[in-house]
Amino acid sequence: MAKNSHEIRDPIHVFIRLTTDERTVVDSIPFQRLRNIHQLAMSYLIYPGATHKRFEHSLGVMELASRVFDVVTNQDNINPTIRELIPEISVEPKLGYWRSALRMAALCHDLGHLPFSHAAEKMLLPEGWDHEHLTVEFIQSKEMQEIWNSMTPPLRVEDIIKLAVGQKKLKGTKFSDWEAILSEIITGDAFGVDRIDYLLRDSHHAGVAYGKFDHFRLIDTIRILPKSNYGDGSIEPALGVQEGGLHSAEALLLARYFMYTQVYFHPVRRIYDIHLRDFLLGFLKHGKFPTNIYELQMISDNNVLSEIWQAALAKNHPLHEVAQRIVMRGHFRRLYDKNPEDLSCNPHIGQVVFDQIKEVFGQDNIRRDDYTQKENAVDFPVLRNNGKITSSFVLSATLQRLPVASFDYIFIKPEFLKDGQAWLGKNIESMLSMVEKED
Amino acid sequence: MEGTKRQVVILSLIESMKNCGSWCGETHIQKSLYFLQTMIEVPTEFDYILYKHGPFSFELRDSLGEMRGNMLVDLNSRFPYGPSYRSTETGKALVERYPKTAAMYQKEIDFIAQHFSNLGVAELERLATALFITKEAGKVSIEERAKRINEIKPHISVDVAAAAIQEVEKLVKEFYATSA
Repeated sequence: MAKNSHEIRDPIHVFIRLTTDERTVVDSIPFQRLRNIHQLAMSYLIYPGATHKRFEHSLGVMELASRVFDVVTNQDNINPTIRELIPEISVEPKLGYWRSALRMAALCHDLGHLPFSHAAEKMLLPEGWDHEHLTVEFIQSKEMQEIWNSMTPPLRVEDIIKLAVGQKKLKGTKFSDWEAILSEIITGDAFGVDRIDYLLRDSHHAGVAYGKFDHFRLIDTIRILPKSNYGDGSIEPALGVQEGGLHSAEALLLARYFMYTQVYFHPVRRIYDIHLRDFLLGFLKHGKFPTNIYELQMISDNNVLSEIWQAALAKNHPLHEVAQRIVMRGHFRRLYDKNPEDLSCNPHIGQVVFDQIKEVFGQDNIRRDDYTQKENAVDFPVLRNNGKITSSFVLSATLQRLPVASFDYIFIKPEFLKDGQAWLGKNIESMLSMVEKED
Repeated sequence: MEGTKRQVVILSLIESMKNCGSWCGETHIQKSLYFLQTMIEVPTEFDYILYKHGPFSFELRDSLGEMRGNMLVDLNSRFPYGPSYRSTETGKALVERYPKTAAMYQKEIDFIAQHFSNLGVAELERLATALFITKEAGKVSIEERAKRINEIKPHISVDVAAAAIQEVEKLVKEFYATSA
């Protein structure tokens, strides 16, 4: 008799176990495609170990999703208000269906990633498209639909889409409280398993210890709780933790902050993303990735890297210069980064420096990249030892002081770096006083 | 509305809510801005969806995060409440540099702050959900809208939903009567 349980070794979770149905998904073309998509784009040029792919991350997210599901649906762990608010949580036979749907959604949540993951996704897709939109296309493709229908019981494709992508990206779709909570298990700001896995995995492969935290303790203490910290009867359900898990939750959020500042926002990583984008704008037909999934799956990181290598070696290749910057480490250098002192004088200092320096050195010789971490999830419910539910922000002095990671880099062609530094030294004071006013 | 002007509206709303005694937690800001944008049509253009308990904008959440990163707002805490937003000196200076935007919507902002700042989160959730369903349903009776709310959010009874719809309609009339 064929076995229904299979194991894959994993450097983060040791063993990832999957069913035959899940293995069918793993063996499909849309999933195998993830073997050729780097998790961290070209970060391996800074952290040589960071060559891991979306494939193993997706397996890890599936493994963690069911670990969290098993904890929060354990009947001993269910808060009485939540039992009343979300009746589905007490219907044992249906929980099996939702567990399977959640694992499949977790497995498929990144199917739509472009080559090199997030690098310049916005510029390289037509207006209105993003990788979540492409994930939906893959999940409802004919090949995947056949897999969902062949399962016993069959999984509803709309459930997999909802849980994989979440309400933030599916604006017209209504979610029940139960569906919203399940999608938060994967995509949530505070305890989403997507985040838990990528922090641990990226940290492991990059060799940067900051991303590690006690995820075993954290997952054991995750609960669905009414977010009733205002004491006025609001019972909105949210993922929170037992008091004993608060320190591991703090460690996760600190890990996230440090990984942002040390890895994801590393200036050299960011400029390689820009050089890669510049290359892809020339390499792709009309400067965009196709949104037809069958055309998209013909392009992988491997094709692009091969073309970059050839362009770097051939002087007459139209993309020779940018390819050589990537291959020969001739990347633009960081000239300016915003800092609290400058920001307090001029909140738009990055834009001002960029506008001014472009005029002096020419647009082709300057690049800008700015980003601010969207939400650092410092407010979640904590079930205290006395049975009360309180905001994490109130209980944790660490979370009260957790900064928001943010950068605004101006880069310059290496040959202009010295002149650029001299120009900046002379002009920064006047730019700090160029405060934007209303028209 | 352009990004900086949207930030100015958010900062002005926070200031006005604080002056009216609001704790200014994220839910208070989310729901108040929803009323400002949807009930009296200040064009902040945040994308709202009907989330677990009422209208919610992920876009606004991201904007508040960005404003924290750029030191325009910060968070404060007082037991037993959750985090409270407040403008920083940099945020106040930004509002001063945008006097036209701040003045253009001040009356609307003050109206929302005066009527909603002292409501609890549960009450804000009910009223905002009533407004969301009213906008979505179009010209249908209060009873039908109340049933729809109860269908989507079973913890809000039909009677409570109907009362919330009536309350919202009364506020809309009051705003337009005072601004006529």
